[in-house]
Amino acid sequence: MPVAQLTSLDYVVMAIYFAVVLGIGWALRRMMRTSTDFFLSGRSLPPWVTGLAFLSANLGAQEVIGMGASGAKYGIATAHFYWVGAIPAMVFVGLFMMPFYYGSRARSVPEYLKLRFDEKTRTLNAVSFAAMTVFSSGVSMYAMGKLLNLLLGWDFDTSVLVAAAIVLAYVLLGGLTSAIYNEVLQFFMIVFGFAPLVWIGLRAVGGWGGLRYRLGQLALDRGLPADALTHTWKGMGDAATNPIGVEWFGLMMGLAFVLSFGYWCTDFLVVQRAMAADSMSAARRTPLIAALPKMFFPFLVILPGMIALAHGSDASVGGLATAGTGMIPPKLLPSGVPMVNEQGSFVLDYDLATPMMLVRLFPTGMLGLGVTALMASFMSGMAGNVTAFNTVWTYDIYQAHIRKGASDAHYLWMGRAATVGGIALSIAAAYVAGAFNNIMDFLQLIFAFVNAPLFATFALGMFWKRSTGHGAFWGLVAGTLGAALHHGLTLARGSTPGVKGGYFATLHLYRSELAQTFYTATAAFLTCFVVTIVISLATRPRADDELRGLVYSLTPRPADDSRHWTQRPAVLASVVLGMTLLLNVLFY
Amino acid sequence: MSGAAALDLRYPIGGLFVVLGLLLAGYGAMTHGDATMYARATGLNINLWWGAAMLAFGALFLALAARAGRRATARPAMETPEGRETERREHEAGLET
Repeated sequence: MPVAQLTSLDYVVMAIYFAVVLGIGWALRRMMRTSTDFFLSGRSLPPWVTGLAFLSANLGAQEVIGMGASGAKYGIATAHFYWVGAIPAMVFVGLFMMPFYYGSRARSVPEYLKLRFDEKTRTLNAVSFAAMTVFSSGVSMYAMGKLLNLLLGWDFDTSVLVAAAIVLAYVLLGGLTSAIYNEVLQFFMIVFGFAPLVWIGLRAVGGWGGLRYRLGQLALDRGLPADALTHTWKGMGDAATNPIGVEWFGLMMGLAFVLSFGYWCTDFLVVQRAMAADSMSAARRTPLIAALPKMFFPFLVILPGMIALAHGSDASVGGLATAGTGMIPPKLLPSGVPMVNEQGSFVLDYDLATPMMLVRLFPTGMLGLGVTALMASFMSGMAGNVTAFNTVWTYDIYQAHIRKGASDAHYLWMGRAATVGGIALSIAAAYVAGAFNNIMDFLQLIFAFVNAPLFATFALGMFWKRSTGHGAFWGLVAGTLGAALHHGLTLARGSTPGVKGGYFATLHLYRSELAQTFYTATAAFLTCFVVTIVISLATRPRADDELRGLVYSLTPRPADDSRHWTQRPAVLASVVLGMTLLLNVLFY
Repeated sequence: MSGAAALDLRYPIGGLFVVLGLLLAGYGAMTHGDATMYARATGLNINLWWGAAMLAFGALFLALAARAGRRATARPAMETPEGRETERREHEAGLET
């Protein structure tokens, strides 16, 4: 029994949006003459376009659904993912790293590793990245199919295949340019679809004050201070007084430093958008322009989850934790019976927080817009993954190892074939996700291990000319092992040993899975950092001449070609950091 | 030469939001006063107001695109000093095929 019914008006809204999406791909089809056009948009896009695409490319299901779920679980503290995580990392990649990515003329992040280190480091990064993109786009599709089936009663197979076909069509037609143009369109669609949700939601719970009051009750029920769900920093002194279950050091080291810098500075999915910019200055401004809207995203994606938790929880009757769970339904066992934890209260399905708000608050008309925005977010994630995959596959795997020195037309053809292949693999991954939940958890874990040490490799490569290819390669391998070791020796409260950790022994018990993740990432980073340095010192360094344009100390500072001081990256970066600091203070 | 010169992205964005805004605001005007329909949205005729906001946003983007129509918004890489510099480096490094 679906939760909501769409009317013909809702379908008209949806149809108009998808017509424009396909129209953009069609309008760009003649522009794809060379492989550079297809994979890098011919390096010709203005910074506002690449900036919004930088933001939107990873605005997939993980962000819209996942941040809403975390908002319901951890409250406004989820904003740490933005205000000490993503934003400083985006400023760093724009100011300090983009000169090397863009200036080295590498066509992908793994290719930069090839220029800076060697072939084996590139291949390691390329293979793990390619596998990861296919897998995450598959998970995105699976989540979308399941959600549309639950909310609207749509057929799982049909929604997955139709969404995949639309993405395939516009990427095949217009390559990266088409993906980027549509990501910008999706960005506005998501903003216009979710902003009214927050507006109505806040009206329904009595504004920010009402939300604080209701969430105060719920926080007390969970054994936390009353203001734990509506403050970001207040309870961070001790793991026991904040909903995330981590203290400030673990948060700063694990999330702000390792995880955020590791993702935003080294993930080709987002860096590819900046590489498509039309000049060095535009490439450097891309992540900075993206950071401006990004800092307000907590209000767009986290607040709906918090409101869903508070909405309908009758604040005048405290202590009814089982009844007062707002709009979020309990998780169902395969038999259809709600899950209950050992305290006898329902286990909530937090992933449904935001979608439930959508179908409960929006009347027909707006409902179509909201559901389309939701689909847009799933598809932008999918398209971002597919365009990153086809580039890495064609340049870093196919051209490097399978067929060197073929014609450009051949690689353009390969790129199109890889797009079809990537989508087909994603669909396969979506079905695997449905069949084996544990395999998926396990894969996700492996990728977390692979990703965590990356930032150490890049930071040492860009800022320490002494680091060598052997050091980078074995550092990455050791970092992955370090993460696995830490994860195997610790466990989060309420987890059983296995995929969740503790498979060697349980030496330490963390208060939450998130806290465990932060420290796993930290362990991986430190291991990679130390091993890279030790092995680099023991191996032969490369000559300075070979490293020009690849290492900070051997590269002239990029000249700003911006005529006006307001367009200088450093000025933009100061504005972004100042505003972010203010947000941290306001919601301390 | 690439897509940026071929299609100013502000046209499709502006066009989409003008059409969607007209559609939702029109529907909101038609159903104005339907208390049961808007009860879920705290009694706010969200279709009308949000449709109007989208319409205004779309019109702004169309106006910006029309204003910029006469000057090209994107420069091919070869027309900027940086572009030429990097092209030269690429030749030297043998990265081009």
